[in-house]
Amino acid sequence: MIKIKETLRDLQDFYSLSFSGLLGIGRRPFYLKDALLQMDYAGAGSLLIVFIVDLFVGMALSLQLSAELSRLGLKMYIGMIVGISVVRELGPVVTALVFTGRVGAGMASELGSMALGNQVDMIRVFGFDPIKKLVTPRIVSSLIMLPALTIIGVAVSLLGGYYIAVFVSHQSGTFYWSSIRNILTIENVLAGAIKPFVFGYLIACICCYSGLSTKGGAIGLRHSTTKAVVMSIVMIIISDFLLTRLLLYVLGFSV
Amino acid sequence: MIEFRDVHFSYSSREILKDVNFSVGFHERVAILGGSGEGKTTILKLILGLIRPDGGKIFVDGEDITIKQESQLRDIRMKFNMVFQDGALFDSLNVKENVAFCLREYTNMSEEAIDKKVRRILSTVGVEHALELMPEELSGGMHRRVSLARSLALATPLMFLYDEPTTGLDPLNADNICRLIADLSREGKGFIMVTHKVSDALKVADRLMFLREGKLLFDGNRQELLNTTITDIKAFISETAPRGPSRTQ
Repeated sequence: MIKIKETLRDLQDFYSLSFSGLLGIGRRPFYLKDALLQMDYAGAGSLLIVFIVDLFVGMALSLQLSAELSRLGLKMYIGMIVGISVVRELGPVVTALVFTGRVGAGMASELGSMALGNQVDMIRVFGFDPIKKLVTPRIVSSLIMLPALTIIGVAVSLLGGYYIAVFVSHQSGTFYWSSIRNILTIENVLAGAIKPFVFGYLIACICCYSGLSTKGGAIGLRHSTTKAVVMSIVMIIISDFLLTRLLLYVLGFSV
Repeated sequence: MIEFRDVHFSYSSREILKDVNFSVGFHERVAILGGSGEGKTTILKLILGLIRPDGGKIFVDGEDITIKQESQLRDIRMKFNMVFQDGALFDSLNVKENVAFCLREYTNMSEEAIDKKVRRILSTVGVEHALELMPEELSGGMHRRVSLARSLALATPLMFLYDEPTTGLDPLNADNICRLIADLSREGKGFIMVTHKVSDALKVADRLMFLREGKLLFDGNRQELLNTTITDIKAFISETAPRGPSRTQ
């Protein structure tokens, strides 16, 4: 019974934080400097790892498709399939997972350490709203930087796919890019572009909540950081499925 | 005035405070004594409304803070300056930025004026040389001095709250902090200091309380504390009290 009560209270606190954090974007005071610092950490700091991961995902995907499609004599479709997979699905999801590992874990551990060191209480003693001061800048940073990183990640993945298609599978580069251009319809782009905003918001809320609710010293910090990363990953995968289902329906794709 | 009426607080299934009653004027110099985990810090957090009691009422300046929303507690909190045990300095900011934190957020002071004020406050607590240092580069004593300086930056409070201000410090540093606490309380500003060091409490406080197993066992002056017949307190004092007269006194 106590466990159920605690879970319900946790859920209530989480929704309250998520809601207040988002509403904080439109309320004074605006902590622009804090948001810019978070954006620098989340965006510029994640660029290299997003580049590497997405490049290799694009290459691996292209390689797998080459192996299968060449058996069927359909190698010319590599560009199209790589394009659809990366733009609609892999680009947003893989970038969000990388973002969780690097930025989300950082948010949870930083806020957890602040909570344990009474720094969050100190912010409250000084009369600041910790959600406005700590959570809102992180939500803003995730809402801006994850979509930006996703655009870069998608471009790099397509480039990786191009390398395999042209230099390993010996396809025409021009045909590869024209296939990509053909699939870049408003529906396909929208199907992939909406996801990073949702993922970014989820990651920021889950990781901030987990960090701020840290208790119990170093073990507690380990627990909250792990929980933040695991919960974010699970929620990214689940919300990806739900979003895909919804977007396919809304954008008029037949399944 | 701060007033606790039958305050009860528990964490998970453990009772921390059991029907605690006391009232303290803003001008009083109070030390709350007790062993680790007896609920001393909890009392300070309850005064500031950082946590809420399970039962009872807490009045600050006549206002019941247990029924106030988080957004309504700001004015209550501004009446106090709190110094946490570990200083609670912001890790990502250097000493200057820590002290300037509230000035930047709440005032429109120029960079020059902020710099001047920060230097002046830091020299008051004797750490003006640490201006550019990061919190991890500070010793325990400096940590607490900077924390004190930071809380002094914005406004003069009605009362100071100190959480174990001398714990973990060498005798010289502990003595310096006690002297600073005594100096800051000279202008009629009281304090509540929670500590397990009887010697430090006797140096600075006029009124002493003793917490044991969540209950307030004692509330009186120095002489009454030293002459008490309560076995738990006698045992506690005999472990920690100074042998001779203190320097700060």
